Amino acid sequence: MINLQNVSFSYNNEKVLSNISFHIDKGEFTAIIGSNGAGKSTLCRIMNGLIKPSSGTVTVNGMDTRTTKSSILARHIGFLFQNPDRQICKNTVGEEIRFSLDIAFTDKSMIEKRLFETLSLFDFDADSNPFHLSRGERQQVALASIIAAEPEILILDEPTTGLDYVECMKIMSIIKKLNDKGITVIMVCHDMEIVLDFAQRILVLAEGRLIADGETREIFKMEEILRQASLLPPQIARLAARFGFDDVFYVDEMTDIVLKRIKNRRKRTG
Amino acid sequence: MIHIENLSFKYKNGRKPALDNISLTIYEGDFLGIIGGSGAGKTTLSYAINGVIPHHFPGDFYGSVKVDNTDTFDTTPGRLSLKIGSVLQDIDSQMVSSVVEDEILYGLENFSVPGNEIEERLLSALEAVGILPLRYRTIDSLSGGQKQKVAIAAIIALRPKVLILDEPTSELDPKSSEQIFDLLKELNEKYGITIVVIEQKIMLLSEYVKKLAVMDKGRIILSGNVRDVLGHSSELEEIGIHCPRVVSLSNSLRDRGADVGGVWINLDEAEAGIRRLIYD
Repeated sequence: MINLQNVSFSYNNEKVLSNISFHIDKGEFTAIIGSNGAGKSTLCRIMNGLIKPSSGTVTVNGMDTRTTKSSILARHIGFLFQNPDRQICKNTVGEEIRFSLDIAFTDKSMIEKRLFETLSLFDFDADSNPFHLSRGERQQVALASIIAAEPEILILDEPTTGLDYVECMKIMSIIKKLNDKGITVIMVCHDMEIVLDFAQRILVLAEGRLIADGETREIFKMEEILRQASLLPPQIARLAARFGFDDVFYVDEMTDIVLKRIKNRRKRTG
Repeated sequence: MIHIENLSFKYKNGRKPALDNISLTIYEGDFLGIIGGSGAGKTTLSYAINGVIPHHFPGDFYGSVKVDNTDTFDTTPGRLSLKIGSVLQDIDSQMVSSVVEDEILYGLENFSVPGNEIEERLLSALEAVGILPLRYRTIDSLSGGQKQKVAIAAIIALRPKVLILDEPTSELDPKSSEQIFDLLKELNEKYGITIVVIEQKIMLLSEYVKKLAVMDKGRIILSGNVRDVLGHSSELEEIGIHCPRVVSLSNSLRDRGADVGGVWINLDEAEAGIRRLIYD
C-alpha cells in the first residue's frame, strides 16, 4: 500500500528526515509519534506526495510519488491537516463536502448519496457556516469532506489537537469505524492514551530518524526508545512500571493485578 | 487579586450568554486550571479577566471583574497587560514579528524595559522555555509547538504578576507539555506569579495545579482544590470531562472492595496508595 525505501528529505540544507524505510499494509491503523520537530508532519507530506523525497523512493499502491501527480495520489489518500482552517474553503458545511465530492466523483446521484451519508454520519447541518463553528467542529468538517470522497488511505496530522474529550471521542470513533471497514489509517498523535486505545502499530520518530517500528503495546514497553523521542508511556503503564508489572496498560488490568497482590499478601499474613 | 462577581456576558449577535453568572476569586499566588468542553466559556472568561471583554468585544455585560481592586471597565487592556500577561489560544494571531528574538524584543521595547536589562531578559526567557537555539530562526520555519514556546517566552519576558494561558500545550508533545508546566510551576513557586491556565489535558493539570475550576455552558459548576474537584468524577464524566486514569483506577479498586482511602489524583499518589495496599 505505502512503501518508503531509504527516504531522506532536506529543507534549507537541514536534514528533516533521514534514511526512513517502512511498509504499511491495507487496513492497518498506525500511529506516528515523536517530539515536536521530529519530522512527523514532513513524513505525512512525503507519504501523500505533497513533498518529494530528496533521496529514496515513496510508493503508494505501487505508484512512485515522484512521477505521479499529487491530484492522482489524492484519489487514494485523504489528508487531514493539523489546522482545519488550512483546509476549509467554502461558506457552508454542505458546499465544503460537495467540493471534495465534485472532484472525486462524476456521477451526480453518487455525489448526492455520499453528501447525505456524510452529513448524517457527523450529524451536520448542511447550511451552517464552518467559520462560525468551534475549532473541534471545524476539524470534523475538514475530516468529513475528506472521508466523503472515500479514500483508501487516511493520513491524519494530529486530528484531536485542541479538541475536548467528547469531540475527540466522536472523531476517533468515526476514524475507527472507517478502519474497521478496511480503510488504512495513519495518524500523528501526541496523546498516548489515544494511541494506546486506537492504534495497532507505532512508528517512533526522533530527529528525523525512525527509531522504532512495532506493535503498540510492545513500543510502549520500550522506555529508552520513548525517552529518546521525548515521550512518556500512557499513565497506567507508567504506574505499573514503578512496580515492575509488565504489560499492564489499562485500568482494568491494573485493578486485577493489584487485587491479586492484596489477596496474596492476605494469604501470606493470614 | 482578581475578583469576579456575578459576571454574565453575551456576545453581540450571540444567541446564548457565553458566561452565565460567574463568581470566582483568584488569589495572589494561585495556580488555577480551568477545564471544560469546547464552547463552555473558558476563553471568554479569560478575555473578561484581561479586559479584552468589555473593551474589544461588544456585547451585554453584567456583574463586575476587578483586578487589584480596579474594575476592568475603568481601565484598558493595555494598562491591564502590565499586570496580566496573556498567551492566546491562536498562536499565529499573537505573533507580530518574523524572527524569534524580535518577537520577544517587541514586548520588552513596548513596555519600556531599560536597555541594559533587555538582553538578559531575552536570554532568560528563551532559556526558561528551552528555545535558546531558536533565537535567530524565522517564525514561519517553526513547528506549531515551537511557536507556542516563543509566545510563552515573549510574555514571561515581561514578568507579569498574573499569567493567563489559553491551552498553551495544545500543539506540544508530552515532554514539552511537561516542560511548560514545570516552567509555570517554577514561575508560580519561585516568583509568586499567579497562574491561570485553560487546558484540556486534565492529566497534566492534576499533576501541577493547586486549584481547578470546571466550566460547562457558561457556568462554573465546580471549583476548589484539585482533589475535591476530581472527587466528583461521575459528574465530570457527565459533562464530557474524562478524569485521569489513576482517578478511575482508585474508583475501580474501591468499587471492588479495596480500601484506597481518598481518590488518587496523580501518579505519585497512586503509587503511594498501591504500596500501602500491597506491602503494608
